[in-house]
Amino acid sequence: MNLVLVGISHRSAPVEVRERMSLHESRLSAALSDLVARDGIREALILSTCNRVDLAAAGEEGQEAEPTLRQFLAEYHRYDPTAHDRHLYWYRNADVVRHLFRVACSLDSMIVGEPQILGQFKQAYLAAREAGALSGVLRDISEQALAVGRRVRRETELGASAVSVSYAAVELARKIFGTLQGKTIFILGAGKMSELAARHLVSSGASSILVANRTFSRAEELAAAFGGTAVQFDDVLNHLQRADIVISSTGSPDFVVTRAAAEALLAGRKQRPMFFIDIAVPRDIDPAVNDLDNAFVYDIDDLEQVVKENLAERRREAARAEKIVEEEVERTLRRLASRELAPTIVALEQRMEGIRRAEIERYRGRLGELTPAQRESVEALTRGMLSKILHGPITEMKSRVGGPEHSALVSLVRRMFGVNE
Amino acid sequence: MLLWIALGLYGLGILFTLPSVASRRPALPRSALIALCCGLALHGAWLGMAAARLQRLPVTDVHSAISFFAFDLTLAFLIIYLRYRLVWLGLFMLPFVFLLALAAALEAGPSFDSASFRGGWVAVHVASMFLGYTGFFITFAAALMYLIQERQLKSKHVRPLYQRLPPLEVCDRLYYRSLIFGNIFLALGLVTGFVWASRTWTGPWQYDPKILATLVTWLIYLVLFSARASGTWPGRRSAYGAIFGFAAVMVTFLGVTFLSGQHGFLPRP
Repeated sequence: MNLVLVGISHRSAPVEVRERMSLHESRLSAALSDLVARDGIREALILSTCNRVDLAAAGEEGQEAEPTLRQFLAEYHRYDPTAHDRHLYWYRNADVVRHLFRVACSLDSMIVGEPQILGQFKQAYLAAREAGALSGVLRDISEQALAVGRRVRRETELGASAVSVSYAAVELARKIFGTLQGKTIFILGAGKMSELAARHLVSSGASSILVANRTFSRAEELAAAFGGTAVQFDDVLNHLQRADIVISSTGSPDFVVTRAAAEALLAGRKQRPMFFIDIAVPRDIDPAVNDLDNAFVYDIDDLEQVVKENLAERRREAARAEKIVEEEVERTLRRLASRELAPTIVALEQRMEGIRRAEIERYRGRLGELTPAQRESVEALTRGMLSKILHGPITEMKSRVGGPEHSALVSLVRRMFGVNE
Repeated sequence: MLLWIALGLYGLGILFTLPSVASRRPALPRSALIALCCGLALHGAWLGMAAARLQRLPVTDVHSAISFFAFDLTLAFLIIYLRYRLVWLGLFMLPFVFLLALAAALEAGPSFDSASFRGGWVAVHVASMFLGYTGFFITFAAALMYLIQERQLKSKHVRPLYQRLPPLEVCDRLYYRSLIFGNIFLALGLVTGFVWASRTWTGPWQYDPKILATLVTWLIYLVLFSARASGTWPGRRSAYGAIFGFAAVMVTFLGVTFLSGQHGFLPRP
């Protein structure tokens, strides 16, 4: 196994470097074919997204792949050794497996747990397969990485909860209303934040929009953008009753919706719930409204709090995901190791068996006629000795898989036991 | 035997359901669904065979009536699961189903049967009653889920249950629909019961404790229904009402049985 991975990511490089080094999708296929055609490179995988470029390669046994990869980076990724070297990270063998698994699980993402990376990884894998750049060990590892990514998604809650304020608001709305289909949103005070929150809600299915603002023209503008209706600011309380979700961000120093007003509003709604998202400071909605039946009031601090709790949960889940990754890395390495060592082990055993038979043959005359029990003992004795002799070198070779001196050790063992063809 | 296998399958279904209760993805594992469906099918076969043997719906002795109730509940859970994907409802319902099925399977003695329990009216009466109870049990479970979810949303903290319980409006819809369903069948059960009693019972059957208790229960649910239909009660009060209502069902179903002569479900000397 001779795996090398070189890459840059949000952790190692600023966006200027990342965008410079990213490889456009249209050139991916040609780049992959080119790379595997180069001397010393058997397989390659290129993952290029806006946050990272990872270039993994399986090199010929005993050949240094790094210079080839550097050359390739310079040609395809506009890599400049003097300026970019400190942004690159390099991994070898076992660390390549671990890195690819972590990337696929979104543990190495800028926002840990963001779900897109697994899809992007799959695209990279498919592109490499189509270009004929995956044929052996790297293909296995890539497929395993996708499987691990799916496992983490299945078994942990990593990436399951909202970690931004506006998305947290959407999630809360969903927990109240189930579907947002057919729900009415009232945007009270047309600001940037409320616009953003409204956009999230609309893209989640909310259908009708009402907008009120002190400057009516601004309300009309925003209403037009969402295909909604503008409402006079003084008339707000009359229209508020139709709203299921209220996003409030006026500059008003006093409460726009007092407890008494909310009580009146809710009375006319036949117990249908109302969700107030109050992102104004000072607040627009009297917090006491939350005490009323069917009213749920979240101000900006409440939303931040939800986000914080979600982030904490995400960190816990990330720790669980790391454990899964470690487990899978170990399993994959063991599998690769036994597969890679299999021919050597078989050759060793055949060699020993050959010696054993020849020796028994040689001493047959001197041993004379043996009873079946005696013959069995001789067989068991010789077999036992040989398997004990081989046990040491085989375990040693297995334990060094993925390490730097592994291939040297394997060839040493082969030479020592005379199985070098 | 069939019932024991069905019971085992229900048990397996519950076991397979447990991991998905902890996860937030609203899906039962395939193994749980298969176990529950097979259990339901065997249970249905058992009921079918009993029906063929008795030449009528096997609900007129305690043993098969409880078994029928368990069957109803499982079927209701699966239908609701297909519609709403409420894994958590299973957490409330399936253990109850298991206990009922266990009770039915354990009651191995010769099933109680008497001449007065023959006839179509009584079968329809008992079956409707149990369908009504099934509806109210789901109303009860929906109310519990509503209360927990509502409290969490009001508290403004993301607790583990928050992600796992259904949205408020889904709880509410389930509440209302199961309430209507339960009311219809309870009414049907009462009417058929009256017809049957007036034909076969002797003496002032109107004063049977079980009948009176059931009437009270039905009144409670009528109030709940009208409150929910007109939107006069807030969700929380309705939910508490449903819990109270189900307590009344339990009293009616279990408690009063022992006081009642005609509904004692015991062979009279």
